[in-house]
Amino acid sequence: MTGLLAKAGLQLVLLLLVAPLLSGIIKTLKARLQTRRGPHILQSYRDIFKLFGKGTVIPETASWIFSATPYIVFVTAALVGLMIPMTTTDAPLSLFGGVLAVVYLLALGRFFLALGGLDAGSSFGGLGSSREMTISAIAEPAMMLAIFTVALAASSTNLSEMAKVAVSQSWKFLAPSQMLAFAALFIVLIAETGRIPVDNPATHLELTMIHEAMILEYSGPYLALLEWGASIKQLVLMTLVVNTFFPFGLSSDWTLRGLGLGLIFYLTKMLLLACLIVLVETTNAKLRLFRVPELLMVSFIFGALALISTFLF
Amino acid sequence: MTFLQNPEFGDRIITLMAALVLVLQIAAVGQRWLVSSIRIFAAQSFLLASIAGIIAYFNHASHIYIAALLTLILKAGLLPWLLERLVKRIEIRREIEPLINAPLSILIAGGLTLVGYIVAQSFYHPEETSVRAALGHNTLAVAIALFLIGFFTMLNRRKALTQVLGLLSLENGLFLAAISLTYGMPLVVELGIFFDVLVAVMVLGILVFRIREAFDSMDVSKLRKLRE
Repeated sequence: MTGLLAKAGLQLVLLLLVAPLLSGIIKTLKARLQTRRGPHILQSYRDIFKLFGKGTVIPETASWIFSATPYIVFVTAALVGLMIPMTTTDAPLSLFGGVLAVVYLLALGRFFLALGGLDAGSSFGGLGSSREMTISAIAEPAMMLAIFTVALAASSTNLSEMAKVAVSQSWKFLAPSQMLAFAALFIVLIAETGRIPVDNPATHLELTMIHEAMILEYSGPYLALLEWGASIKQLVLMTLVVNTFFPFGLSSDWTLRGLGLGLIFYLTKMLLLACLIVLVETTNAKLRLFRVPELLMVSFIFGALALISTFLF
Repeated sequence: MTFLQNPEFGDRIITLMAALVLVLQIAAVGQRWLVSSIRIFAAQSFLLASIAGIIAYFNHASHIYIAALLTLILKAGLLPWLLERLVKRIEIRREIEPLINAPLSILIAGGLTLVGYIVAQSFYHPEETSVRAALGHNTLAVAIALFLIGFFTMLNRRKALTQVLGLLSLENGLFLAAISLTYGMPLVVELGIFFDVLVAVMVLGILVFRIREAFDSMDVSKLRKLRE
């Protein structure tokens, strides 16, 4: 029991600390690629710290949902983080159905975020919520199909189990269906983390914003929780992509040496994925909102083909 | 580095890259910009050249290296360059206007991939339990899918130039099928095909130019009407 608590505690600390750093790295890399200086890598920490010290304004029309949303978003993101293998193949938590719980906990967070956007009573919030739901209606099944492909190959929906099978088979785990599933999940990752072809994380332009529109009315500690929660969600999704498709270097136990090695491998892989995301963000223009479902449709087809091609062989 | 000698590893890599070729092909169906589709074709040809190179390495068939090199130079380099120059010269609208809208086209492309897989299954003999038989058939499925999607792209596009792109990806499918099934045709045949494609693209390029001169448009559906 204490072992479990120690593992959970360790991973939680890692999650909470690495998430803002990753956001900072992505921002800096993006700025450098566009020949700007960009914010300092640690700026995300400073923002969160500063926001926790500020007061908060709650709209008159808001109900308890408005205040509960930041906590729910933050807690679901952190909980999902505990269920995903980060540096070792053994995740500290495994709730009902593994991957299914991951997908639905993320959906719960998003549901409350959309409600919170509506609850503030501003027209921008409602607009953001409706856009978010339109996108997630296609992104979610695509994500499910992609993850099920991997789950089928490992014959388990438990993420730790999936990672173990992948590590034990090394390169034999590579299959065409995995390639298709990776393509699908990468598009979902871009959509879910609000990156450029789908949403722009850096603007408050009413024509284009999705995630920013929903959290427009939040301020102070609530905003800090939401920002932190969003960066944890981004970290968790990136970890999911990296560790299900490229499980190299995951250590199989919780010893000090295994953890250290695993951490180095993990950070390297995340850095490479961050570079890929930055490249995609810099080389693409934001899609028109009505074109976004087309992009997600591609991802859905990739996911479906991946799943079907595992059955045909 | 023992796995570099392991033929099973080679087959895995080949199937994986074939899957990547398929991913690019489906992405090309959903692509709206002419220049991007040309670049996707170039990337696809580059992958094909790598597949040919890997097959040559693992099967010690040195003549496939020549085919790989030709693919690299012609299809990943020269043809995309020619096409992009053509796009610049005739100053057409850079957006592709397909007959069927993008989401439906992608769905159809997915369906055609399934057809490819089902057709390839009839070439599959489970009694031959060697890994190569199973994996080769996976690549064959991708090749047939490429072929079918290439056909579909040709039907789906109005303009002559975008139809050329469909033809080229169709030819890529044929090339993939040939090298994955037979591990390389005789060099004379390969050379013949390369020359054919090159000449076809050049002729089509001139034709596109002429069509535009005569009709003020590249829309091939206008070619039905006679002009006095």
